[in-house]
Amino acid sequence: MLVASRGMPQQRTDPNGESMLETTVVVIGGGATGAGTFRDLCMRGVPTILLEQGGLAHGTSSRFHGLLHSGGRYAVGDNDSARECIEENTIVRRIGHQCVEETEGFFVLTPEDDPDYVQGWVEACAKAGIAAAEVDVHEALRLEPNLSPAIRRVFRVPDACVDGFRLVLHNAMSAQRYGGRMLTYHKAVAIHQQNGKVCGVTAHNTLTNEDVEIACSCVVNAAGSWSGRIAALAGLDVAVSPDRGTLVVFNHRFTSRVVNRLHPGSDGDIFVPHGSITILGTTSTTTDRPDDTIPTTAEVQRLLAIGEPLFPDVRNYRILRAFAGTRPLYTPGNASGRKASRGFHVVDHGSEGLEGMVSIFGGKLTTYRLMAERAADTVCKKLGVTAPCRTAEEALIPDPDKATLALAARHFPMAGLKIMADRLGDDLPSVLDAAKAKKENPLLCECEMVSLAEIEHVARDAATHSLTDIRLRTRLGMGTCQGTFCSLRTIAALAEHNIPLDIPPTENMRRFLQERWKGLRPALWGIQAREMELGRAVYAGVLNLDGAAHEQNC
Amino acid sequence: MNMHISPDKCIACTTCVVQCPVAEATTKFLGPRMIGPAYERFRLLGLAEDASLHYCANCKNCDISCPQGVPVSSLNMLARAEQCRHHSPSLRDWILGHGELMARWLRHVPAPLKNFGMLNPLTREVLDALGIDKRATLPAFATQTFRQMFAHIRQPGHKRKVIYYPGCYVDVYDPTTGVDMVWALNRAGYDVIVPNEVVCCGLPLVSNGFWQHAHANAERNLRELAGWRDKGLPLLTGCPSCALMFRTDLLEYFPDLISKYGPCRLEDAQKFLLETMDDALFEATSTAPVVSQHVIYHAPCHLRAQGNGLPGLALLRRIPGVNVDNADAGCCGISGSYGFKKEKYDIAQTIGSRLFAAIRESGAATAVSECGTCRVQIRHGSGLPAKHPVSILRQHLEGLH
Repeated sequence: MLVASRGMPQQRTDPNGESMLETTVVVIGGGATGAGTFRDLCMRGVPTILLEQGGLAHGTSSRFHGLLHSGGRYAVGDNDSARECIEENTIVRRIGHQCVEETEGFFVLTPEDDPDYVQGWVEACAKAGIAAAEVDVHEALRLEPNLSPAIRRVFRVPDACVDGFRLVLHNAMSAQRYGGRMLTYHKAVAIHQQNGKVCGVTAHNTLTNEDVEIACSCVVNAAGSWSGRIAALAGLDVAVSPDRGTLVVFNHRFTSRVVNRLHPGSDGDIFVPHGSITILGTTSTTTDRPDDTIPTTAEVQRLLAIGEPLFPDVRNYRILRAFAGTRPLYTPGNASGRKASRGFHVVDHGSEGLEGMVSIFGGKLTTYRLMAERAADTVCKKLGVTAPCRTAEEALIPDPDKATLALAARHFPMAGLKIMADRLGDDLPSVLDAAKAKKENPLLCECEMVSLAEIEHVARDAATHSLTDIRLRTRLGMGTCQGTFCSLRTIAALAEHNIPLDIPPTENMRRFLQERWKGLRPALWGIQAREMELGRAVYAGVLNLDGAAHEQNC
Repeated sequence: MNMHISPDKCIACTTCVVQCPVAEATTKFLGPRMIGPAYERFRLLGLAEDASLHYCANCKNCDISCPQGVPVSSLNMLARAEQCRHHSPSLRDWILGHGELMARWLRHVPAPLKNFGMLNPLTREVLDALGIDKRATLPAFATQTFRQMFAHIRQPGHKRKVIYYPGCYVDVYDPTTGVDMVWALNRAGYDVIVPNEVVCCGLPLVSNGFWQHAHANAERNLRELAGWRDKGLPLLTGCPSCALMFRTDLLEYFPDLISKYGPCRLEDAQKFLLETMDDALFEATSTAPVVSQHVIYHAPCHLRAQGNGLPGLALLRRIPGVNVDNADAGCCGISGSYGFKKEKYDIAQTIGSRLFAAIRESGAATAVSECGTCRVQIRHGSGLPAKHPVSILRQHLEGLH
């Protein structure tokens, strides 16, 4: 048995002047599962450091369609997963209402779907405990007038939408409130062992190129699609195959409910309203790279074709961008793609000769908390910690009190206040103070209603290095103009208010725009092509951004 | 209802913000792009309305300037209607939206009494407390409505007929413009029919948030006018706002009525006169000598929004003796009843100041514009008399100097 060190993670400097940290557990992976495990362990009083190679949720947790599954989709094929989904769905709504929009969902039988599938699906939902009541087609069309009038049957399920990035952020905020420490842009490059026991991790700071040594007695591998690579660092060989999924983002919300096709799980058959946008996805293809995230035009076309029976006007809605992520499928015995289980597995590598190493494989965002609980249980058992898991009872973020909100209403002259309060979580009071100190607080990002005070606050955060980090926290640049107006405004405002980021302004803006444009390229037609031309005219033409570096050399 | 227009066409170029006279005059309005297509994405999400929606004047300069064809003002008006469904508009807005209805209620009260009742300083204080700025010049009720006067006009008995839609401003406040229009159409060779059934086009109702009332008016008008349209008669109006309402707004606001009755385009009466009157008709009668007159013309925003040129200006230019400047100084600020409202009076005066200066500096003794409330604002802001183009036409051709 390992002994938990007392107190929270300690920093010390070794004789060579290198950074040296000491903790009990290192969690690798700043996605939902990792951040959930981080929170769970911190709440149980276990000193924990979270390592993430990019920004929070840089991997799959920000690259999915934002669906908090009711489980309806898995009811027939994997009833146990379906039951887990509905149970966790209920819990996440309760503890993370700032991250969840309770939209409910429809399962819709189109003329192209097999009507005989319905009965079995209804029974499977009942077995899993998922409420699935039939809705009259006329009523469904009244509620969702953009649905195809040709649809045959509709069922209502408790699907919801979840902001993956915010969920991760709020878990991390909660963990930090309990003393946890988080290192983003730190990539685990070595896992050290002594006498068959884990004794430390080397993390490489990708921004400064410095290495950090962390002494610990336990490592939780929650690296999702990268978990095979992390296991390999410890000399273990596990069957994780990344499975690539592409999604399409539409400019507006043409459905106010999640809409699934009522047929065996397939590509491109779920529409999810997500804040101001709608997401359609996903495809499923095996890949050998966890970072295989560049979508293709062929995938976008395929998704539109599959989405058309549900929303006949789908080709007329403007596509903002496409993106791809990789699912961390756990595939012992070579199951792959949609056949691979969506269940998760907590593996204690002690049985393979490495004490103190725990991995979480597979799973999905909806069940992240349960996965984290199981992983934390395994770790606590090893550490002799008996504190029970409380992550299902305690809210991720305490609700702001009425006085704070009333104050906020005075300084944020916009109805977008609730949206802002939800995404800020613990940071709301600080942003309010910043806004109070200002004469005016203009919206720098009008498409997603992000104000100067909020951006300044996020930019000052130690975990913020780039405009992209600000984007993930605030939705800056994620709306209609995809960064055309807000990136320049933001970089200028930060320079004016003397808030430098690690990456210099021009380079920062260039990277930010390239990242935005990466998502535009695969669906570059229609109105979005006009938008792109405007962006190109502003940055490549007027500002000569692509020639700026060269010009300075002349 | 709960109707939405897709915000997808907006590419956020902000051309409309640059062209919006309200956004230029006050920071209380977030601007057409923000309140229109950008906010629409959040309305679809169920977000509460932004207070600045009420600062949109519905002048339609955003629609005019948008290179992508986004119906910005209609997005705003639909949003305002939705908001007014949940929060009833104020008594003040009811009064300003229902000018024609009030006039109908008060039709048996003699005009001097009505005007004394409405415009005396005490009433103005009361109205001011309700939110109608006491500094604003409100139009006075005419002694007789246009339709009362029209009933007594003996027309020449031409075979060719046109339908004239006077609009509520002409009917209630400015009947002589309507009488001048009938005179001009008669001279062009047409007898004029004014259908009794037609009512206010509904634009003031829409701007003030009375969507259901506007729908009822639209149905009544379309039912009546569709019949005349189907008989092949030209449908004319001299009021640009009425024309715009029938030409584009009704199509966007009430697709149910359009599919029931079909669109009823009201043609610009000035354009009709320009096309039907040959040169000989522009010669003054032998008894009327050519009198030279310098006037300055203001093109109403709702005329420019139709993309139909400036036929009123062209008409003025054909009148012998008339020397006309085009003010070309943007919006006058009034936007129907917007500039009468207490919280908007100063904004409207700021917007109109460029036009007022242009008019004063022109040296012209008379301003001309097709729009009734533009003329009210011009008189108020510049001190010059303001007339409709057909009144200038008649004045010169009949020698009524």
